[in-house]
Amino acid sequence: MTHLWRDYDPGDFYDELMVDQHQPRTFSYRLLDHLQSMRNDAFNQRVAESEVEILERGVTFTVYSDAGNIDRAWPFDIIPRIIAKREWDCTEKGLIQRIRALNQFIDDIYNDGQIIKDGIIPEDVVMQSKGYRPQCHNMRPAYGVWAHICGSDLVRDDHGTLYVLEDNLRVPSGVAYMLENRKTTKRVLPELFKLLNISPVNDYPSHLASMLASLRPDLNNPNMVLLTPGIYNSAYFEHASLAQQAGLTLLEGADLLVGNDGYVYMKTIHGLEKVDVIYRRIDDDFIDPLVFRDDSTLGIPGIMQAWRDGKVAIANAPGCGVADDKVIYAYVPEMIRYYLNEEPLLPNVPTWLCREPEHLHYVLDNLPDLVVKPANESGGYGMLVGPHSSEEKIAEFRKLLMSDPNNYIAQPTLKLSVSPTSCGDKIAPRHVDLRPFILSGQSHYVTPGGLTRVALVEGSLVVNSSQGGGSKDTWIVDEALLGGTS
Amino acid sequence: MLSRVAERVYWLARYMERVENTARLINVHTGLLMDLPREAEIDWFTLVSIFDADVFYHAGYEQISEQNVMHFLLADTDNPMALIHSLTALRENARTSLDILPEETWEQVNELYLLVKEEMLAISNRRRRQNLLLAIMERCQTVWGIFANHMSRNHGYHFLQTAKHLERADMTSRILEMASLLLKENRSDPVRAFDGLLWTHLLRALSAQQMYTRVNGSSVSAESVLDFLILDGAFPRSLFFSLNAISHHLSLLPLPENLLATQKQVMHNLLNKNHSVIPAEAMHQRMDDLQIQLAELNSQISAQWFYPDHTSV
Repeated sequence: MTHLWRDYDPGDFYDELMVDQHQPRTFSYRLLDHLQSMRNDAFNQRVAESEVEILERGVTFTVYSDAGNIDRAWPFDIIPRIIAKREWDCTEKGLIQRIRALNQFIDDIYNDGQIIKDGIIPEDVVMQSKGYRPQCHNMRPAYGVWAHICGSDLVRDDHGTLYVLEDNLRVPSGVAYMLENRKTTKRVLPELFKLLNISPVNDYPSHLASMLASLRPDLNNPNMVLLTPGIYNSAYFEHASLAQQAGLTLLEGADLLVGNDGYVYMKTIHGLEKVDVIYRRIDDDFIDPLVFRDDSTLGIPGIMQAWRDGKVAIANAPGCGVADDKVIYAYVPEMIRYYLNEEPLLPNVPTWLCREPEHLHYVLDNLPDLVVKPANESGGYGMLVGPHSSEEKIAEFRKLLMSDPNNYIAQPTLKLSVSPTSCGDKIAPRHVDLRPFILSGQSHYVTPGGLTRVALVEGSLVVNSSQGGGSKDTWIVDEALLGGTS
Repeated sequence: MLSRVAERVYWLARYMERVENTARLINVHTGLLMDLPREAEIDWFTLVSIFDADVFYHAGYEQISEQNVMHFLLADTDNPMALIHSLTALRENARTSLDILPEETWEQVNELYLLVKEEMLAISNRRRRQNLLLAIMERCQTVWGIFANHMSRNHGYHFLQTAKHLERADMTSRILEMASLLLKENRSDPVRAFDGLLWTHLLRALSAQQMYTRVNGSSVSAESVLDFLILDGAFPRSLFFSLNAISHHLSLLPLPENLLATQKQVMHNLLNKNHSVIPAEAMHQRMDDLQIQLAELNSQISAQWFYPDHTSV
């Protein structure tokens, strides 16, 4: 049997761990040296152990399909992805810069609308955003922060540049899986933690709890809860696991009510108990049937008024999804210059706005080379990946773009970076992205690394776990502490 | 503590106790049938009767056989008394109470579930079935151990304990109902010949044999066995002990007065009777009554803490 690593070749792609076919990067040398020195059966044994570990710990996510909802074991690849601390420090600054600008933007939109008046962003772009909630006007949440928990997707191209692909501001998920991935690596490959200085990630829940507590500066010890849509939600595992680790009460809409005094209460065995901070994991569409969707059974009637009256803090704030829109995304670099008077530290992926006639013209001429995305979808749905699509599919998008250009953006097909991934009988390069999580309240916190998602199918760019993607533990490694380069 | 969460941990404990008791009962009963002559009126179907599931069984199965009865009691997802049903409910309740239980709980329960699901295919094999039942009992004991050693004595803990003892009392009363078979004047000669063996079996089905022997020596009689299983104050599976434990844990929950009054009544009914000299029918009736009272206690717990009437503030 040939050695698992024998034919490894990243080709033209930027490899997260390798300089080329043979040469590891300075920070990944020790990891690869260790993994490559393992015999195939020893390595496969560790892979099998990780699978059992995840199954037994019940780390699952739900896939919705025609055949009903299926609980799937969380897909995990045991070869970690490494980022040098030096690079990460800059990335972290860039992420904080970005979320500061985004929060100022949301606050501006729901108050003075100065950025529209100054002609930086057209008003209709803001109004078309599906996350725009007129009910949120004249609200000023603590510190002017609306998006308290943000998961930004980062990708790297073939030149090694990291780009922000999108900012998930509504109810971003994945952070519990980041924590689980680290736990699994520690159990399956414990010896690696002797070789390298890896930034710990497991204090995320305590940062989450202090951020949430900071949203009620008027209280010493606020009563905090996590509001979940329930066990049939695809991220229920995450909701339960975060609640457990951050010390939040895990509850559903039916456990809450708004009293005649306008405060929010939960139903306990003692009777009603006041709730001060809600970390909500349901879309704002469903949060209050009196204000938004009146068919919602997940929400709490009257909760929006309680929020507006400052009687309860909600994270993320209702309405913050206005900035989670692929058209508005294109304006984020301008927002950073406008609000912060700084140059963006992290670039956007170059983006054509189909609402601009000359952009649309270019996009229609170059469809087979481009990625086209609808403004308001997540999970990789409803998009066109030109180079991987049939002529029929391209023709279909041509029609969509011409009939509804405002709803689409286009980007070049990035040559996404790859990372060595265990693929059964061999280790092979697979495309990866990265979702770090940024907390904003009184101060900011960025997870060291985040959740690396990997497209397990050869050549595929789709990393979404709902569509067959996997994940990796992500290490931020301090090269200065490696003790000499190799 | 949230009412809904309280309800979930309460049912988690009831189901876990039910899973363990079911496993033990079937395990012990299998051992007994190996010793009994075939013509004895104690057979595989006795198990179905203990669960009060006669009608339900006949709706789904034509013949009474080891194979069918085992499938019905262990693996039949249509049977609400089946072990797999209780285990699935146990797992679901554990999954939805992750935030208040010690973190190892979920992993243990999930592993148990995965093991049972895998081995369910092999339950017609008596040896593998018996091994599986032992493994199930061990796992449940592990989880109780986790609660005992890792969990604060908070309201969640008292709900767990209340539910465990309520479920246990219910199962003990069901097994004692079976004792009425042994008390019958007109019981068959084979059964009469095996009287001692059968009373021992009853003790074993409740994990009581060793503790009984330490008190009563190795002689086994109807009077002493009934006295031990109903009234012993030190053995943790006697009815008296379970009812006492229920009262202890109820008293540590908020506003327990009504519940304690009901518990006192149940206890009074139990102590007020002379159990050592009774005819078979009376035993049967007495245990039936107890089960009804326990069900009443259960609904009162639900009304008091899980679904109270929240008059708006």
